[in-house]
Amino acid sequence: MRAAETQLKEVLSDVFGVEPSAIDDEASVDTIEKWDSLNHLKLVLALEERFGVSLNEEQITEMLNYPLVKAVLEEHGVEFS
Amino acid sequence: MSPSEPDTRDAVRVALDRVRTDGTYTAYLAAQNALAADPSGEPVRIAVLRNFTVEPILPVLEVELALSGLKASMYVGDFDAVAADALDPDGGLARSSPDVVILALWLEGLAPRLVGRFPSLTDDEVAAETQRVVGYVRDMLVGVRRSTNAPIIVNNFPLLGRPALGILDAQGEASQHGSILAIGRGLLGVARDMPDVFIADHLSVFANVGSSDGFDRKKWLHRRSPVGTVALAPLGREYARIIRALRGRVRKCVVVDCDDTLWGGVVGEDGPHGLALGEGPGAAYTALQRELLNLHDRGVLLAVCTKNNEADVLEVLDGHPEMLVRRSHLAAYRINWDDKASNLRAIASELNIGLDSMVFVDDSAFECGLVRESLPEVAVIHLDPAKGDLATQLTDPGWFDALITSSEDALRTAHFRAEATRRDIQSAASSLDEYLEHLGMVAEIEPASDATIPRIAQLTQKTNQFNLTTRRYTEADIRRYAESPSAEVLSMRLRDKVADLGIIAVAIVRYAGEMAEIDSFLMSCRALGRGAERVLFDEVCRRARERGCTRIGGVYLRTPKNEQVAGFYPSVGLGAEPADGPGVRFAAEIAGVRAAPSHINVVRGRHAEVVSS
Repeated sequence: MRAAETQLKEVLSDVFGVEPSAIDDEASVDTIEKWDSLNHLKLVLALEERFGVSLNEEQITEMLNYPLVKAVLEEHGVEFS
Repeated sequence: MSPSEPDTRDAVRVALDRVRTDGTYTAYLAAQNALAADPSGEPVRIAVLRNFTVEPILPVLEVELALSGLKASMYVGDFDAVAADALDPDGGLARSSPDVVILALWLEGLAPRLVGRFPSLTDDEVAAETQRVVGYVRDMLVGVRRSTNAPIIVNNFPLLGRPALGILDAQGEASQHGSILAIGRGLLGVARDMPDVFIADHLSVFANVGSSDGFDRKKWLHRRSPVGTVALAPLGREYARIIRALRGRVRKCVVVDCDDTLWGGVVGEDGPHGLALGEGPGAAYTALQRELLNLHDRGVLLAVCTKNNEADVLEVLDGHPEMLVRRSHLAAYRINWDDKASNLRAIASELNIGLDSMVFVDDSAFECGLVRESLPEVAVIHLDPAKGDLATQLTDPGWFDALITSSEDALRTAHFRAEATRRDIQSAASSLDEYLEHLGMVAEIEPASDATIPRIAQLTQKTNQFNLTTRRYTEADIRRYAESPSAEVLSMRLRDKVADLGIIAVAIVRYAGEMAEIDSFLMSCRALGRGAERVLFDEVCRRARERGCTRIGGVYLRTPKNEQVAGFYPSVGLGAEPADGPGVRFAAEIAGVRAAPSHINVVRGRHAEVVSS
């Protein structure tokens, strides 16, 4: 199993069409051009598929940058070492 | 830094490969991003009117169409503005001039009480709700039809999985699930009353993925996005399959390997009696053969391509008691030690079909890779027992989807078998002319009618090689031409001593004063080489003269596939003229057109007299 961090960066890269290396703690709706509300929904669906989780609405609305996405996944038991 | 073109193509290829092998939703999203930089592909404009959040499905649709060489561009109507879009003839829908319209409806949005408060409804109210929903969809379809003649895809509705009445729902007539199915039946009736309306089968898609995983209640409630992650890809594929078929991207032939594909084991090593077939360990292969016969019955051509000694394989095909697929089912076979790419090319040319009409099925990763590399037009199915049921792997990609199961399709295989008999006649005749005389061909030419319009539309959609203009028409388009006082649609049916080929050629002609203008002139490739096209052209001229025309003309629009008809108009005596539009234009006085050869008898209309042409 590859590290959760690597997988998470891959998902964001796939959804937003940017290099995985461009995803860091600064990445957010303000820095990534394609991170708009519709692509946010696609991000949620992609995360649910990859990590086998089901996010609730509160989590969906708050995870507007990379560290918050990580935090939400951690709440679902995904471990980022 | 902007990527150079080869980089873009490379990125697209890698992304599409990932979709093929992993097929996850995330892979589709990545591929959509890669495709955004690649403008190649035949354009198809899709307008989506919807009452729910369809956007997550669209990347799957776009990528699946790209896998068939189609470049989708989307117009998506405002959320829950179906009526406004459908009923405004000057609105966004009409302005988007779509090639296909998708009416995407979620039942809970249309009938919240039927879905959410079913136990509060009386039987009469349930019946009224059911009728109201069907009536609403009919109104929307009629509205869309006023703005555009494009084909419309509307969906039926999935069952809920957990009906509100619990176990009671299954016990009575006026049940919640019963009413959802009744709406689906009503929609089908509406669709069949209107030309070019097709059903996206949400009912089957959600039955397949399961409604508890397929529905995302939370996202429906908060974001009007009801489709769960597991259903996104299958739902997008469902629409892609329909659009692919509408655009004539239909695979006509399946070429299968033998060892560990048609049967378990290796005939050259295990011998015919050591093969796994029938019950027990061979059951999976027998099931695959059953599926191949289903394709055969639907008009798909079966062929075998295997590295073996011919005698071994024919012994199994003809004599093994557990075989379902027999030699008589095969339109062609290549049993030898040549490479499979060459063999596939030979089969394509024997059957007179394009490589892009073929699907290749093999258990060997090597052979699959070789065919993918050297013949990228061929669709490849790599059978892998580790990936589950073999028969499902054959049918799941939907390569053989067609929207018209005309009896013409079933005739096709019989035709290719008859071709073998014809070859025998040919070797007995001393010249091609003599051979054609021996065939005793009869061409039946008649104006389009209700009975022939589906096949005529299908031919305009599927015919690539002998097609002067490659204009694709729907049934509704054909009907409009046929009913126009200044146009005519002719179909030609061909039979000979050996077989009935069915309707194989179409001409569409517009009459304007002295000029008879050929809009479309095409013939199925299985009727090539008999001079039949000349007979149809003769008839076009004859009818034009009857209408008082003195000149006949048309254009040749070049495509990558219709090179062979570049010289057709000159061959019948038409001369090049300056064109005022695209293509090369030809015309002539009708009196100067060369007459057709005499080996085909012409019958006009259904009860017309036989006239030797």
